[in-house]
Amino acid sequence: MPPTPTTTPRPGLVARAAAAAADRVEAVGQVAVDAVRAAVELWGVFVSTIAGIYRGGRPRGEIVRQLHAIGNRSLLFITVTLGFIGMVMIYQACMQFMRVTGDLSQIGLQFLPLIVSDFGPTLTAMMLATRVGAGIAAEIGSMKVTEQVDALRMSGVLPVDYLIVPRFVASIVMTVVLSTLGGAVMYLAGGLTAHYQFGVNTELFFDPELLRPAHLILGLTKAVAYGAAIPIVSGFCGLRAQGSSEGVGTATTAAVIGSSFAVLLLDLILSVIAFVLFGEQLR
Amino acid sequence: MIELAAVKKRFGRHVVLGGIDLEIPTGACLGIIGPAASGKSVLLKVMSGLLRPDTGTVKIDGADLTSRSEEGLAPVRARIGFLFQNYALFDFMTVGENVAFPLTRRGGVPADEITARVAARLRAVGLGGNEAKLPSELSGGMKKRVGIARATIALPEIVIYDEPTAGLDPVTTSKVYDLLRADQQSTGATVIAVSSDVDALCRFVDTVAFLYQGVIRYQGPAATLADAPDPVVRQFVRGELEGPLEG
Repeated sequence: MPPTPTTTPRPGLVARAAAAAADRVEAVGQVAVDAVRAAVELWGVFVSTIAGIYRGGRPRGEIVRQLHAIGNRSLLFITVTLGFIGMVMIYQACMQFMRVTGDLSQIGLQFLPLIVSDFGPTLTAMMLATRVGAGIAAEIGSMKVTEQVDALRMSGVLPVDYLIVPRFVASIVMTVVLSTLGGAVMYLAGGLTAHYQFGVNTELFFDPELLRPAHLILGLTKAVAYGAAIPIVSGFCGLRAQGSSEGVGTATTAAVIGSSFAVLLLDLILSVIAFVLFGEQLR
Repeated sequence: MIELAAVKKRFGRHVVLGGIDLEIPTGACLGIIGPAASGKSVLLKVMSGLLRPDTGTVKIDGADLTSRSEEGLAPVRARIGFLFQNYALFDFMTVGENVAFPLTRRGGVPADEITARVAARLRAVGLGGNEAKLPSELSGGMKKRVGIARATIALPEIVIYDEPTAGLDPVTTSKVYDLLRADQQSTGATVIAVSSDVDALCRFVDTVAFLYQGVIRYQGPAATLADAPDPVVRQFVRGELEGPLEG
């Protein structure tokens, strides 16, 4: 008697839909798990960086080298971009004021507190997030994919201490310096635009009457926070790079996006906190 | 003594190590072979604490690496020299600084002694006088030899070589293995080497472990590897096209 042929029955439509749905849910769940894990790792890098400042272990002279790389090499870039932004902002503001009230006497008075408490540090940090953040992620990322980070670890070196701590310290210092400089250039460029394009009196424009200590405290706090966030986020992205040059590219892109997002998020959080703490002084 | 017990490691859904049990006595010279992408380099990184296994334990002289923090691993790693598959030379340092790095980081060695030891080590790998060059100025084979010099300069108790002769010509390969053997005999270090050049590796090591599909299919004397009872091992060693070996 010939054997009866057997075939595996094809799963029904419902079973296949259920399997597809389960796969989709698993994929979404995996993304959520990865996001939480990344957030925890990012926090770990931050804590380790703070501890690394006290642990030491960074190469001698590295902070000075990073001050030069982050600060001096960004000088022209920050000066030019913030100068242009100051000119455009004042030009647009004057145009709007002319259309509505025709009174430009308040332009400079209102512009200075804004620059000091927000535009100066935030726009400087946004620029640094692109230039410095990308550089840090590319440098550390390429070391990661070529196993140089593993070689550091095998020599008893903590990569965070060696690679991120010097950039962290240098970035905080230079973000404060460049924010001050960038804000000054922005203010000056705006004042010159207002004077030569709209005839605003320079003494009136450059009057610091409305500037309060709270503006200075908020601006300085933001600059420090941004300066800390950029190397942490970028270094973290670099240390997570995998594969080859494509992985470095992905890490670099993630660093620019992540650093920029961190700057904007910190801007919002610190502005809200400052509003609660200082209230009327910031108006 | 290096002990691995039930070590498993996976990346995503891909199981790389599916339960490795391995004991490497102090002073032994073990070769690890296997097809490409069989997890040999992952196994070396797990042994040195660079990768944490998902399950299982890795012990070096009784110290469990899997339960230690990154800071806690530093003293264990100080006893290990590691030659990476892709050299992993620091591209912002000169050759001399690269080779000196394990000594300078450890501290306690005078600068002039470091200079002398670097020069001697570079001469031993046939690269004397190249201290001032940058890694970007070297060929692949030269980078590999600088990596060997860096891995061995601190006279580690355990030396791990990941593809020590990849990209080298046969003569240089023989010279490198002679050097590694002389080092091992003079220091008595435990040596673990991964290589795709099975013949040359078997002349260097005493015992061999064959890694395939996440498990060790053979562990025994290098001399009898070609006559292993497992047909997968025999096919791999003999380089036969037909057989049970997949991929």
